[in-house]
This record gives sequence, structure tokens and C-alpha cells, in this order.
Amino acid sequence: MRSSPAMLALVTDAYGGRGGIAQYNRDFFGALAEVGFSSITVLPRQAPDFPAMYETVEQLPARAGRIAYSVAAVRTALFRTVDIVFCGHLFMAPLAALIARLKGAKLIIQAHGIEAWPRPSRIQRTATERADLVLCVSRHTRAAVLSWAAIAPDRVLVVPNTVREVFTPSDAATQSAALAVGGKRILLTVGRMDSRERYKGHDRVIAAIPHLVAKGHDVCYMVVGEGDDRTRLEALARYAGVSDRVRFLGAQGLPTLIDSYRAADLFVMPSTGEGFGVSFLEAMASGTPALGLDIAGAKDALADGELGTGASEAELSATISRILDQPKPDSVDLSTAVHARFGRKQFAKNSLNVLNRLIETA
Amino acid sequence: MCGINGIFAFHSASSPPQDTELFKTREAMRSRGPDGSGAWWSLDRRCGLGHRRLSIIDLSDRAAQPMTSEDGRFVVVFNGEIYNYPQLRTELETDGVHFRTTSDTEALLHLYARHGGEMVHRLRGMFAFAIWDQVQRRLFLARDPYGIKPLYTANDGWTFRFASQVKALLAGGQISRDPEPAGVVGFHLFGSVPEPFTLYRDIRSLPAGHTQWVDAAGPREPKPFSSLAEVLAKGAATPVLAAEIPERVRDGVLDSVGAHLLADVEVGVFLSAGVDSGALLGCMRDAGYREIRAVTLAFEEFHGTSEDEAPLAAQVCERYDARHVVRHLSQQEFVQDLPAILEAMDQPSIDGVNTWFVSKAAKEAGLKVVISGLGGDELLGGYPSFVDVPRWRRRFGALAGVPGLGLFVRTLIGRVAPAFSQARPKALGLLEHSGTWAGAYLLRRGLFLPHELPQVMDPEIAREGMRRLRPLRRLSASLTPDPGSDVARVCVLESVHYMRNQLLRDADWAGMAHSLEIRVPLVDLALLGALASSIPAITKGAGKAALAAAPATPLPNEVVTRAKSGFAVPTGAWIKSIVGEASSSIGQKPESKGIVSRRWSQAVLNGAAIAKRPLEVHAS
Repeated sequence: MRSSPAMLALVTDAYGGRGGIAQYNRDFFGALAEVGFSSITVLPRQAPDFPAMYETVEQLPARAGRIAYSVAAVRTALFRTVDIVFCGHLFMAPLAALIARLKGAKLIIQAHGIEAWPRPSRIQRTATERADLVLCVSRHTRAAVLSWAAIAPDRVLVVPNTVREVFTPSDAATQSAALAVGGKRILLTVGRMDSRERYKGHDRVIAAIPHLVAKGHDVCYMVVGEGDDRTRLEALARYAGVSDRVRFLGAQGLPTLIDSYRAADLFVMPSTGEGFGVSFLEAMASGTPALGLDIAGAKDALADGELGTGASEAELSATISRILDQPKPDSVDLSTAVHARFGRKQFAKNSLNVLNRLIETA
Repeated sequence: MCGINGIFAFHSASSPPQDTELFKTREAMRSRGPDGSGAWWSLDRRCGLGHRRLSIIDLSDRAAQPMTSEDGRFVVVFNGEIYNYPQLRTELETDGVHFRTTSDTEALLHLYARHGGEMVHRLRGMFAFAIWDQVQRRLFLARDPYGIKPLYTANDGWTFRFASQVKALLAGGQISRDPEPAGVVGFHLFGSVPEPFTLYRDIRSLPAGHTQWVDAAGPREPKPFSSLAEVLAKGAATPVLAAEIPERVRDGVLDSVGAHLLADVEVGVFLSAGVDSGALLGCMRDAGYREIRAVTLAFEEFHGTSEDEAPLAAQVCERYDARHVVRHLSQQEFVQDLPAILEAMDQPSIDGVNTWFVSKAAKEAGLKVVISGLGGDELLGGYPSFVDVPRWRRRFGALAGVPGLGLFVRTLIGRVAPAFSQARPKALGLLEHSGTWAGAYLLRRGLFLPHELPQVMDPEIAREGMRRLRPLRRLSASLTPDPGSDVARVCVLESVHYMRNQLLRDADWAGMAHSLEIRVPLVDLALLGALASSIPAITKGAGKAALAAAPATPLPNEVVTRAKSGFAVPTGAWIKSIVGEASSSIGQKPESKGIVSRRWSQAVLNGAAIAKRPLEVHAS
């Protein structure tokens, strides 16, 4: 394989996309472009927002339909040089494996979170087993892939999410005042509210609020994100008698989101289904302590308790209480530690490792 | 012979490993190295190495491990012995290398500094080691060509760990115990867990004859540096006449025994009344070794009967002027030790009990190192498989090649004669498996056959385990390149599968449980190379006859004659008394050796349960 390879990336979304997977894809392609890929052609299924241009990466128009997408992928592959096929989601693995075979190209399959945890279809599993490398965002996802795929463990690498440089600490008191919470301690969750998933743990935080108040914590729970489960969560807050302490802020643009992170006293996301949980990193990089459940990919984002706190579901309320009782950690130290471990520099290094591994096996 | 372990937090996201984990893993291997221990950490504490020492060569503290090169760049932990260490040392010193110790461990550091990973081609011996390079910040691991010494690894995506034992890795507390279906299925098929799998998904064996690199980009796939099939294939290209075999066996075995006597402590020998151990004792004398102690296991049930091996072993001792240590074993002691045996068994095995007790006897005699005749049957065509596997291929191979015929016949007989199919499960597999060398070998060595697995385990685990293990493909792969003759093919299959995964592994855990180093001169790549041209011409009995004649004073005729009629050991009956009651799915005929093995396999797999409950001993 050439040292400056050309890559075809089959993804759900990247530039112009929302959410963690789109961000990961953008970060990954950007890092690869910087380490010497000659071209990266991105074919997304969707691009709801206006795609920002990136000089060394070309993103083709989105194709939503399966057949249209497959035809576009094959056609693109036939008329371009392709050394590496990157498959950004397991359900596209059979198509990616087919194109890799047609082109004699290397195959990378990306596994994020819950999509890769249960045993996939036979055809997806077979495609995964043919991959030259499988990239997983966390150790948990890697272990899940190895539980169903008969693939050499050394071909399954962990490339964790990264946190952008814009997430930095600032004066929390100013941000808090801007949110007009009247001196309350702020608990924050950032994540979509999807009625089909419901694993992010908003319910658990709402359920913990009465216990926290009973212990003397004057808290306010801020929820950033959108989704069709919001109505149910609002009802849940009313039923628990804490609706005056729960505020749904909707989706936020980047500057506002950063301010929300900075204003919070504790970022809490007791999710049972995090592939990684990049919002943990964003919160800590903004200087705010983070709490999650001590399971799945969250363990990686919390660095096994070295950066954030992992707790069992039963201990959630007590752990929130304990953290609120403690003085807030030095925000600059926390941010520096998060960037040192999960910053762009490390992500670029991990991406370079991927390229080198492919070159080694060529 | 020692215990080694290490942790390398290779990923930038990982936290530095903890002292406690390194120590817990190391101390779980205390019996492997009771003479000393050591630990080493890199300056950034992202790589730690641990070692438990059994002092054999250079008993001084200066040879302690982890051992660092004089310039501080390389650090090694090593388990095993390098038998050509004197020659390597001479070569290195001629090149201007200065040695600080008289330990073979130091030679590894100098060789690595000069030749990098290619150093493994210069080593003769049994070894598993890891070398950390402080400058390039990478770890190099290697394991000997036969897999005499174990080395297990675990990679969670952030941190790489290794140790000499599976249970030691688990003792560190950071590795998942999620089961590996391929390991479970492999144990049921072969009676031992086939490498690289273990019973745990996150722990793998570094395959024999492989090296592995680990750096910031993670562990690379292990790379082979040696292949038994290749050695035999080369030998087959220059065949020798049968008449030349005795001389070649004599020269090769004497050379190997001489090399295996390298030690700064006394070297004893396990002695049965068979050809292999007796011939090795004779060759020890020929190599100039004096004051030899030979340890024989005798069974109280056989005392004063023709089954007792001790008198014949005594005759061999007399011939070679060795001191005979006879250790009597009773059923009572067997039952008493069983919990400890199951505890010491690193991975489940249906064998190894005899090795446990003879190692115990050697330890009681004050020995640290013994020579064993293990490997003679694989090298010199001593097993029935050398006859059966080629014969089955010839007789049933063509029929087995008819697609679906084997399955049809098995299904038919299973329906019309279920009692037969349960009593003779392997007979049903003849038309299904005899079409290939791999299939015929599986049939010969198999504990259970693939079609029986759903009856003895969760069918889903059986299906997934077969898919991941691919036993026939794995067996076939070991025959590449083609060793060139029927004898050589079976030699490879027996050496690479049965001997490696069962006999050598059993010798390791059973010996190490008693802090005893077991050396195997008949399991030696140099010896295999010397005999590779002869092996195709070995006929039934000829190999063992040549071995019996290898010492300057040949073995007594009684030993050769007796060996042909075989030996009995009562441990099978003792095991039967413990596991006699079993589910009908495993088999109905407790008097059948194969069925007893099947029941024993279930008992071993549930070893903890057996170890904890009081056993009722029945008269056998």
C-alpha cells in the first residue's frame, strides 16, 4: 500500500452531520488528512446541516436510500483510486467489504457503541471478520466485537473519541449567573432524548433529585439536547414533584454549549449504553467534574475514575451528593489532564498508528 | 525455569499500571520460582516486568531478573533454559562482548542488542521471554519452537499483559473471565485447550515458535519463526536409508542429552520401565554425567506383580550406575492430592496426574531439575496413531470423500442402532473424517467428536466454538508445507497438537507446582533437524529400537520387549472410581478407557467443584 493512500469512506454522516458519530468521523478524517492521505472521499447517508468545507477531504452529496447509496458507493469506487475503504457503521460493512474486495483495498470497519454490542447479522459478521482493522471507540465496544467476531484480537484497535480545543474552563460563576438559577447547584446532562433508546439516564437523575434535596442540596437539573422523549421526561419530573428544578434547554450551538458545561457544578450522565461518551470529555475539558455509571464505554471516558467518577446505579444519588459536598476540583488542572489524554494531539497519534498498521500489513 | 509477567500500558489513553497488579500476578506464580523475585518499572511507569526465580544456572544474585543491559537500554524477563548458551557466549565474547554474569539470561540481552528479533534463530532450548527496549519503547516476546515453555497474553485495547500462567493473569484482577467458546470446544475435542485459545476470551497463548511486538500502536499479530513441518519437509527431500537410522538417532540423542545437562545444580531423571527414559539415562552416562538419581513412580496396587515397573527400572539403574529413588503412590494419596492437582492445573487437561506425582517425588528427593523422556513417541513413531491414521486414510479416505455420505451413515446408524452409536461414537465418524489427514487425526485423538458436542454443552456454545476454532482447518494448517511422508505427517500432528497442548503443558504445570524444572531432550529442534531425513524411513518399532540402542551400553532386552507389551497405571481406575457416575450423554460404558477420559474431562472442567467436595473412594 502507498504511504499516501486514497480512502473511500462510507459513513452515516460526517460534515454537516450532528452527534457524536459525525463528530468522530470529522475528527478522524481531519487527522488522516494531516498524516498524509492523498485523498479522502466521504460518501454520507445524510447531511442535515450545511457541510463545512475541508480542503483535503471531499464529501459527496448525501444518499439517503439504501440502493441509491450502494450504487453511488460502487460507482465512486470504480472511477477513483481506492487503497482503503473505511466503513463508518456496521450496517454498511457488507457493502464496504464488497468494494474493498473489488478494489483489492484494505478494509477498516468502525464500531462505535450499541450498534456493535449485540451479535449482528451473519453477513455483517462475515464482513467484519474480513476487515484488516476494526476500530472501536472504547475497550467495551472492542470486547463486544471480539465476543461475536472470529477475528485476531490484535486487529481490533481502540481509537477513542477526542475533545476539541474549544472546550476550556472559564469563570463558572459568570456562566451560572447567566443561566439565572438563583444560586442553585447545577447538574447537567447533554445528550439526545430518544424514545427508542432511553439509555442516557435522564430518568435516573430526575429520580435522584428528591433525595438530593432531602439531603440539603439545592439543585437544578439542566438538560441539553433534543428528542421525542422530552415530553415523557417532563411528565416524569412533574410526577416526582421536581419540575421546578428541571430545565430542558433544547439543542445548543457550540458557544452556548460550552457555557453550559462551564456553568455546571456536576456533569452527570448515568447512561447504560455509551459507546464512549464524548460529552464526559467536553464537560471535564470545560473544567466541570463528570459522573457516569461505571459500565460500558463511559469507563474509558472517565479514565477508570482517574478523570471523572464512575458509580453503580444504586449509588448514583449518594455519589452526586458526595461530589456536591466536595470542593470543585481545579478546573484548569482537570481540563489539562483531559486534553493530555484525549486531546487532538493524541487522536492524531492514534490515527497515525492506524495508518502505520495498515502499511505494515500491506 | 521461572515465572515471568509484565504489564505495558501502550495506549495514550490508558492509566499507568498499578504495582499491586504486577505483584499479584507474579506472586500467583510463586511455586514456579521460590528462590527469588524481582520487579522493574520504566521511568514513566507505563511498563512493568515481574519475575519469580528458580535458580538453575548462575545461582548468584547478580543473575536475578528482571535483568537490565549494562547500558540500561534493554530489560529482560526470561523463563527457560538456553542450552547452547556456552557456544553463544564464546561467540559473543569473541566479538568483544563483556559478560557480567554466567547466566544464559544475559546472553539474551546481548543477542537482542546485536540481532534484534532475529536473535531467536540462534537459540537452542526451551524459552519464553520478553525484552523491553527503553529507547524504542517497545516490547518483544518470543516462545520456543515446540512450545515447551508457556506464555500467555491479554490485550484489552489499552493495556497489554503477559504471564507464564493463565491463572496468574487472572489473579491480577484486571482481566475479564468471559468464556472463549473455542477454548471450551477445543478442550472437549482434544482433552486440552488448543493454542492460541484459553478458556477465557481475553487471554491467549503466544503460539509456539512465534514472536510478537508491542509498541504504542498496540500488539502486532504474532509472527512465526519456526515450523516443525518445514524442518521435516526439508528432511524428506534428502531421505536416508533405514540402515542409517540407528547411528543418526544415537548421534542426535547423545548431542541433545549433552546439551540438556547444562546446569549449576544436580540434574536427575524420571525413569519408567520404558525405552525413552531408560535410553536417556544411558545417554546421560555417555555424556559424562555421574551421580545420577533416577526417580520412578510405583503403585501400591502393582507391588509384587508383573505390572510393577520398579524392578525393571531398578535393572536399568544398575546398568547405568544410577541411584534409584522409588516413590510408591496409593489411591489414598491420589485422592488427597486431587484438589491440589486441580488447583495447580493452569488450564484443564485430562492428563498430567502421573507427572504431578513423579514431580512431587523428585522434589521430595531434593531435585530441582530432571530429564524426561517426553517426546520420544512423537519423534520416533511410538504411538498407535502412526499406524492408524495412515491406515484409515487408505481404507476409508475415498468413501469419506463422497460428499454427505459420512453424515448420512452416521445419522442412519444413530437412528437404527442408538446403543451402538453411543458406545462407539468414533466408529461413526470414520466415514465422515477419514478423508483428510486432519480429520483422521481428529478421529484418533478426539475426546469427543464435533457431532457429539451439542450433547455435552450448550449447543450455541458448541456451534460458536466450532466456528471460532475451526479444528480441521487448524490441524491442516500445521501440515504446511507438507512434511513429505506418512510418518512425518503424524509426527507433526502429534508434536504440534497433542504434545504441545497437552503433554508439554502438563509437564509445565505439574513440574512447576513442585518447583521442578522438567527438561525434554527428545523435544529439541536441533534433534528433529538431525533426524528429519530419517523419519520417513522409520517403521513400527524401529525408532524405539534405535533409541534403545543409542547408549554405548544398550538398554536391557527386557525393557525393549516389555515396552512393546505396554504398561498399566492404576490412576485410570482411580479416576473411574471418582467420576464413574456420569450422565448418559457422555457414555454408558464406564469400563471403556475413552469413556472414563470423557467423564474425567467433565470433572476437570468443573474442577473447583470437585476440589471442594469430599470424595468417596471406591474400591477399584
